[in-house]
Amino acid sequence: MRSIRLENVTKFFDGEPIIENLNLTIEGGKFFALLGPSGSGKTTLLRLIAGFEQPDSGSIYLGEQDITHLPINERRINTVFQHYALFPHLNVFDNVAYGLHIRGIAQPVVQEKVIKILRRMRLEKQIYKPIGQLSGGQQQRVALARAIINEPAVLLLDEPLAALDLKLREQMLIELIDLQYDLNTTFVYVTHDQFEALTVADYMAIMNPHGEIAQIDAPRKVYEFPRTTFVAKFIGNTNLFKGMLQIKDERSTIAIEHLGDCIVSKPDLPWARDGAHIYMSLRPEKIYLSKKVLQGFDNHIEGTVETIVYHGRSTQYNIRVHEDLKMQVFEQNEEHFEKEVVDYDDRVHLYWHKRDVVLLEK
Amino acid sequence: MKKPTLGAVVREESSLFVALPALVWQLLLFYLPIGFVIGMSISYVPYYTNIFNLLHFKIIGRSLMLALITSILCLACAYPVAYYLALQIKRYKNIWLFFLMLPFWTSFLVLAYAWFFVLDNYGLINMLLMKLHIIKQPLYLLNTPFAVYMVMLYCYVPFMILPIYTVLEKLDKRLLEASRDLGATKWQTWTNVTLPLSYPGIRTGFLLVFVPSFGELAIPVLMGGGRNFYVGNLISYYYLVAQDSMAGAIFTCLSGVVLLVATLFVNWWFARQRV
Amino acid sequence: MITFSFNKSSIPTHWVGFTTQWYEEMIFSVDIISALKTSLIVAGSSVVLSVFMGLCAILYGVRTFVERLLVLFYATLATPDIVIAVGLVSFFAFVSIPLGIVTLIAGHTLLGLGYVMPILQTRFAELDKRYTEASMDLGATYTQTCWHIVLPLMMPAIIAASLIVFVISLDDFLISFFVAGPHAQTLPLYIFATIRAGATPTINALSTVLLGASSLIVLIFALLQVRKKIEVV
Repeated sequence: MRSIRLENVTKFFDGEPIIENLNLTIEGGKFFALLGPSGSGKTTLLRLIAGFEQPDSGSIYLGEQDITHLPINERRINTVFQHYALFPHLNVFDNVAYGLHIRGIAQPVVQEKVIKILRRMRLEKQIYKPIGQLSGGQQQRVALARAIINEPAVLLLDEPLAALDLKLREQMLIELIDLQYDLNTTFVYVTHDQFEALTVADYMAIMNPHGEIAQIDAPRKVYEFPRTTFVAKFIGNTNLFKGMLQIKDERSTIAIEHLGDCIVSKPDLPWARDGAHIYMSLRPEKIYLSKKVLQGFDNHIEGTVETIVYHGRSTQYNIRVHEDLKMQVFEQNEEHFEKEVVDYDDRVHLYWHKRDVVLLEK
Repeated sequence: MKKPTLGAVVREESSLFVALPALVWQLLLFYLPIGFVIGMSISYVPYYTNIFNLLHFKIIGRSLMLALITSILCLACAYPVAYYLALQIKRYKNIWLFFLMLPFWTSFLVLAYAWFFVLDNYGLINMLLMKLHIIKQPLYLLNTPFAVYMVMLYCYVPFMILPIYTVLEKLDKRLLEASRDLGATKWQTWTNVTLPLSYPGIRTGFLLVFVPSFGELAIPVLMGGGRNFYVGNLISYYYLVAQDSMAGAIFTCLSGVVLLVATLFVNWWFARQRV
Repeated sequence: MITFSFNKSSIPTHWVGFTTQWYEEMIFSVDIISALKTSLIVAGSSVVLSVFMGLCAILYGVRTFVERLLVLFYATLATPDIVIAVGLVSFFAFVSIPLGIVTLIAGHTLLGLGYVMPILQTRFAELDKRYTEASMDLGATYTQTCWHIVLPLMMPAIIAASLIVFVISLDDFLISFFVAGPHAQTLPLYIFATIRAGATPTINALSTVLLGASSLIVLIFALLQVRKKIEVV
């Protein structure tokens, strides 16, 4: 069980820095996800850890060992590539056995290990097939097997499920979680798909387009308590507003244009002073929508239904509160028969609690 | 945002020591010797001013003619073939290509020798003509310029066919359709669309034939009786018979320069053709 | 013209009668055997040398200056054989290397390099670098990667290049003419000399055989190509 630590790592490409002075510690034995949009540098980070690229400055550690200048093949780290990179001229067995074969491990031992792991991956029927005859899902599992058979300290996964269809992807995510739990190897999973990241990760890091880490936290914390507007917008959906914080005695409100004064809880943070210009993030599922007038909520506003999108499990409403302001609301379709029929151009009320609001500095 | 280049930086991927032999070989056996020959001839030219005599130029001229005529003949024969193959034949293109390229793969000595049997006094052509009572006496075909050109043509035509075929094959057929659609006849389409677009292929083929034929030694000797001197003969004479490597070197350089000029001229001429 | 190429594939049989006598004579002729041997040795060595050196340069030249100098190898194809021949002869004379099999091999290898480099370089560049990365990720050194992964994936190109160099070397006349010297003789040189002296029926037989052999090689090559296309799909 080993951890990965990056210290002040900088990498340039074509004269432009992709990541600059990046510091990151990945705990051993956990399932870590690295999430970010295309071009955020997450793939670069992965490649640096694997050894395919060298940092222009800074160091990388595996546990206590400085691996910054260690060649790829000497690192006890294995990678599952995005398009699997299975050797086309070898069959499944030879592909999986490759790492052991190179190390000169005796044939009977290799045989035993390969069969065992292929059985685990449910590939017993494909052992001697050429790669070209396998389906996408099968190839993916071969790539996994090929990597973990070497019992690496860390397993790197570069968007491994990108080429699979939805159902298969969901299935594989669960399998990966089980796999990591059994092996207790450190998994570093890179993706741009937030759903994948939220599903598998014990904890995750979000990278913004400037190559910086915006937040590292457990998935729930990232979702419910984003630290920057970038994170709030990137993960899930949110209603984001800019306004001025007003603190008078025990009451804190934020004055938002066209929305009025919203009651919020004052966060215990240095930048939360009276008069500060801050952001408010409100997730659509935290808003209650009703045609009736209700009591018991901190905040209330009225609007007109502009768009209704039916998602099966939930329904999304876009409510026009003001000529220049829209709000998004998610309602879970809990009941078989609708409680209340809401239609286009209906006048509705929106309610939310102050505890469901997140205030952000930037 | 561009993806970073996939490049491993493992040190042992680059090994100058291992990679060097090929380079050394090339430098040593190609660039060095040729440079050497050039250098040698430059230093000796003052002493050998009689190199620039009429005889030499006559021989060079003869080789130029050989190269030029061969190239033109090849073009005349190859273009229709390539055209037909690329644009008319739908299936089995590869089979036809295979047969056409066969002379390319066979040792041209064997090919030249085969022609002996065609051109001989009792060979194919003469037998045929006599059978048909067109002539009474066998025509004397061997050891004539006709024989030389015939064989040159035969041996070099594949070099001309291939580039032209490649270019024509990749031609967007829709351009031709468009031309016809706009009212051009087949001939006009050919002159205005196909021909200009096939210039790159023609140019390549022309050079592929012109340059080697200039220095050709075997075919003129075999088919022409060895009485006439061409550049190839003369160089071999200088080096192997007369053992006069100075003269050989200088003459080679001279011929080389002429060839270079001619090639550049051809290139330029073709470049001018581009609209 | 097309029919012409067919025609010339026709075998020059002896015009008196059909007999295999000359074929037998050919097989037993000492000169021919020795010329054949020489040709094969030279061709084989040239292939081995040029392909091996070429691979070394391409696989290990990455990031050294060799990479940028790869263009130098293209000059061989652009230069008329006679100029190359003259250069070689002068060089060998200057360094006092006696002309013979060794110089033949040297010259043919040079020719071979001219074909090997473009063919292999193109194939190598097309190769997905992710395979080499995966291999090293799994623990292989670069050399092991070359042996297990790169070479097998480049095999079609290697075979093609080898065939081309082999045929070029066997058929080569001009360069061999200058570089062989008084003692060594390749098949083309032998044929040339014999024809000049006055054709014999044995030559007929030899020519026929050579014609057949070339056709065969090309046929095999073409079939391999077709098969390769089917396999890749």
